[in-house]
Amino acid sequence: MSAVLDARGIGMTFRNGDEPTDVLKGVDLMLEPGELAALLGASGSGKSTLLSIVGLLLRPTTGTITIAGQPIEGLSEVERALFRNRRLGFIFQFHHLLPDFTATENVAFPAAAPAGGISPAMRSRARDLLARVGLADRMDFPATRLSGGQKQRVAIARALMNNPELVLADEPTGSLDRVAAEQVLDLMRQVNREDKATFLICTHDEQVAARCTRRITLRDGRVEGASRSDGLSG
Amino acid sequence: MFAFAVARRYLLSNPAQTALLIAGVALGVTAFVFITALIQGLAIRLTDDVTANSAHVSLEPLTRVARVLPSPDADVASVALVSTFQRRQIRAWASTVALLRSQASVSAISPQISGSAFLVKGEAVAPVAVTAIDPSGLDAISPISTEIVRGDAGLGADGILIGVRLAENLGLSAGQPVLFRTDRGIDRLLTVRGIFETGLQSLDERVAYLSLQTARPLFRLPEGVTNIEVKLVDPHRAREVAAFLHEATGLRATSWQESNANLENGLAAQAQTGTLIQTFSLISVLIGISSALSLSANRHRGEIGIMRAFGVSKRFIASVFVLQGLLIGMVGAGIGCAAGFALCSWLATLTKPDGSMVLPIAPSEGGYIAVIVLTTLGAVLASVIPARSAARLDPLEAIQQ
Repeated sequence: MSAVLDARGIGMTFRNGDEPTDVLKGVDLMLEPGELAALLGASGSGKSTLLSIVGLLLRPTTGTITIAGQPIEGLSEVERALFRNRRLGFIFQFHHLLPDFTATENVAFPAAAPAGGISPAMRSRARDLLARVGLADRMDFPATRLSGGQKQRVAIARALMNNPELVLADEPTGSLDRVAAEQVLDLMRQVNREDKATFLICTHDEQVAARCTRRITLRDGRVEGASRSDGLSG
Repeated sequence: MFAFAVARRYLLSNPAQTALLIAGVALGVTAFVFITALIQGLAIRLTDDVTANSAHVSLEPLTRVARVLPSPDADVASVALVSTFQRRQIRAWASTVALLRSQASVSAISPQISGSAFLVKGEAVAPVAVTAIDPSGLDAISPISTEIVRGDAGLGADGILIGVRLAENLGLSAGQPVLFRTDRGIDRLLTVRGIFETGLQSLDERVAYLSLQTARPLFRLPEGVTNIEVKLVDPHRAREVAAFLHEATGLRATSWQESNANLENGLAAQAQTGTLIQTFSLISVLIGISSALSLSANRHRGEIGIMRAFGVSKRFIASVFVLQGLLIGMVGAGIGCAAGFALCSWLATLTKPDGSMVLPIAPSEGGYIAVIVLTTLGAVLASVIPARSAARLDPLEAIQQ
């Protein structure tokens, strides 16, 4: 089975005036289909930068990336945006739901915006996803009337709307209390198991990492170590 | 269109701010409508005043003619305009009147003898500008008979109509005789048949009307007339008709616009001032829209970042803000036009004690279509800057803030 993500020799150098700063120094990262991987590291280790590069939100200084068999290097900005829309899902620490839209409309958004509107099929899928994340009774609630944990569950459903091959999550539980964080983690594990969706979760939280099937640790812009587990230790 | 739904929800998400924004646009549009209706109303009133009480085209004999001058060089001809040194009169006025009657653009014709004279009453002497006309066409150019305040408009063989101020200055009343002395040195006793009051001092103090029949011997013009005054169906065609009549008759034809060049210049200056005020009011509206949408783009940074991360196109993001501008512009312009029309209509009902309007405003001339188009297009243009900045937001920066 081919890798969902195959990143090789990823380097990223930022310039602060004349002073170059190497944030990533030749990172290799490969994810197989259905993996639930945690990307760990201290602040400044480069994990968020790596996630942004894998999510096609940043272009690396060096290295190559292939996602689901598609080399990324030659893609234009418009093609990268289209690729993000169709093949990647994102979950951020701050969900940034559209406050004046219902939960269903927020979930359907990634499919509806390029299509110019929400079709009945999109609405039906969005409602199915909301039911899966335990929000069957909140489908028509505006985002402003949802709790923090509920909003993040809507964000997870939104990330899954276009059936992405790879879901990228940046501190998805960072702004939640312990109970809500547990629920969100359980949900991601459930989706990972049932849909065989591949997750790359950027976190500095050991408890989050313990629930994943793979740990990748970054230190000073390099992969320090990687290990696999059954993800049940959390 | 999904971008339209997002734009509408963004506007409805902060109803107070949106209402204020639309109110600002509406206020600017109301000011635009008011200024336009006032300037147009003033122009219409001034033009109507002039065209209602004076000829639209005046035909007079040429006072100078072209003459070839003697030249020593046979190959070179010199031409000069020289005075005719003759009595100003149109001898073949009947054929000119016949030509005028055949023109569909002409609504009234008044052959006249114009001249200067004095009215003498005891020791008092007053100069008058005399207009001698066919009594049946007394009101053809200017409505005199409706302005008669004492006596009547029947001129008869020895009658004269004078203005109310002239009558006061000479102590004359209707039915009294007055000595009429022309610039040709001829005296005749006439009877004041009627006294008119136009409200214009220059007319009420200086003008007298006689019949053509009475005037001919007094001004020694047994056949001709000094001028032919013409009214047109459409006064705004006066220049074109004057040019045609000059070509056709050889007479000097002067349009009312030429005779009132100062009025035209004044109206043009007034229109320019109005345009300046309208431009500034529109610019202030557009700056308001642009800054409000910039604030909106900033408030929705996080959501825009997420949209961009999810691969939503820059065009979609930009269209959300352009559509907000469009909606604000259209709704604001609509409300502003309605408010402007209501305001102008109310102002048009206010009258002075003499029955004239307090403001010469023309509610129907508020430039409504122009202001709706300008405001809507302007609002779209004003939203381009915030739309571009929103579309260019770095999704990473926007999400992390």
